[in-house]
Amino acid sequence: MNLADLEMSPAFVWMRRASILCLCILLGNPANAAGTAVGTVIENTANITYDLAGTPLALQSNTTSIVVAERINVTTTLQSPQTLVAPNDLNRALLFTVTNIGNGDEAFALAIDSAIGGDDFDPNPAVPAIFFDSNSNGVFDAPDQAYVPGSNEPLLAPDASVNVFIVNDIPGTASNGQIGRSQLTATSMTGSGPAGTVFAGQGDGGVDAVIGTTTGSAAATGEYLVSEVLISVVKAQLVNDPNGGNQPIPGATITYTITVEVTSAGVATASTLRDAIPMFTPFVPASITLNGGAISDAVDGDAGELDSSGPATVVVRLGDLTQADGIQTVVFQVTIDE
Amino acid sequence: MRIFSGLVLVIASFSVAAQSHLDVQTVVQKQEVFVNDNGESDTRLVAADVVVPGETVFYTITFTNVSDEVADNVVITNPIAADLVYVEGSGFGPGADLQFSVDGGETFAAAEQLTVTEDGETRAAEASDYTHVRWVLRNNLDAGAQATARFAAVLE
Repeated sequence: MNLADLEMSPAFVWMRRASILCLCILLGNPANAAGTAVGTVIENTANITYDLAGTPLALQSNTTSIVVAERINVTTTLQSPQTLVAPNDLNRALLFTVTNIGNGDEAFALAIDSAIGGDDFDPNPAVPAIFFDSNSNGVFDAPDQAYVPGSNEPLLAPDASVNVFIVNDIPGTASNGQIGRSQLTATSMTGSGPAGTVFAGQGDGGVDAVIGTTTGSAAATGEYLVSEVLISVVKAQLVNDPNGGNQPIPGATITYTITVEVTSAGVATASTLRDAIPMFTPFVPASITLNGGAISDAVDGDAGELDSSGPATVVVRLGDLTQADGIQTVVFQVTIDE
Repeated sequence: MRIFSGLVLVIASFSVAAQSHLDVQTVVQKQEVFVNDNGESDTRLVAADVVVPGETVFYTITFTNVSDEVADNVVITNPIAADLVYVEGSGFGPGADLQFSVDGGETFAAAEQLTVTEDGETRAAEASDYTHVRWVLRNNLDAGAQATARFAAVLE
């Protein structure tokens, strides 16, 4: 029996979008949100000119001087869109960017909270649960270094940012359509508190550090959506024998028609149809079509090929499928050996 | 001996020349919100010890004619530091005309007469273009009289 099977990769497409987003941030021309550099001395002297008994004279005032203190300000922004998961998924990452929008160098402690109210389930933080995007590819992968509290807090220059993953396991009890939220908080190591709080002498170079409008701490929340996509795959065959009938006799051609359809909410990302050719029924060259359009047998960048690296297999890449895409129809032919 | 007394005379005349007819003092302050005796929220100016980006500082120039003669054509000029942006409408000086410079103090004019040319386009000057603020006193400053000039600027 010749069965078509459908492979689905987990939400890698979403990951790719996330990486594009963070690339923009790295390459973008950063606005100078940080302001005048900490320690800058601003002096002021007024000049006065006047006439006294017809004689023009000039004087300078005393010189005042102010020293720019450190303003502690930080933002945390979510980069990942809503992330599709399945129950019992492990190490599902959400990407965030932490940016130092203060005017001095500042280190930030990172914390995860997955027990947020208002959602349907609580994701379980992995151990460890916070990673840096060490290889800057926007994808949570092996080179990414774990954050170790008290050890490698990111030290950020003014306007500098770091990309951070928080990683959760999805509980087996989560069901289709449920949402679970998880939050990353970055907090200044100097301190946090209401805007205007002064940490005397604790800024860069020993100047005062003052908490800015972001209170020295910033959080952002990401979202997981449980999405078990239901897919229907139906395979039909039509036999045409050399005698003009429909008998599966040697010399007959079998036309297989495989229809694929998403029948639930969600996205089947990077869907690929693979159908192995049975023995003694050779593939008819150049017979593959997808929705009526021809697909060549060669590996050449179109949506499919005849994969001859192992047992001959028809491969057709259907891409990201949703219910809105409707029925996808793949057709190919074999003959029955004479 | 004659030479020595001549030296003394020279030194004495220098000392007269260096003596100021006007006393000019400038202070820099910032606004602080506090609760007054009536329990209401109020603001006051305090020393600008700690200034962070986004904060407003207030410069106050106080000048006193400490001579016995009338000073006329009195003009106070104050540069606006590169990291500071003049606060629109903050210039204050009783009896003085306010002028600004957008070219590093080369020329001065009233705010509405100033223009800036950028990339070949000429536009009206904005507060952020000002490099200097100037007070031109309309009246003479009598002996013993005191006057004040003030402006505010935001630290970038």
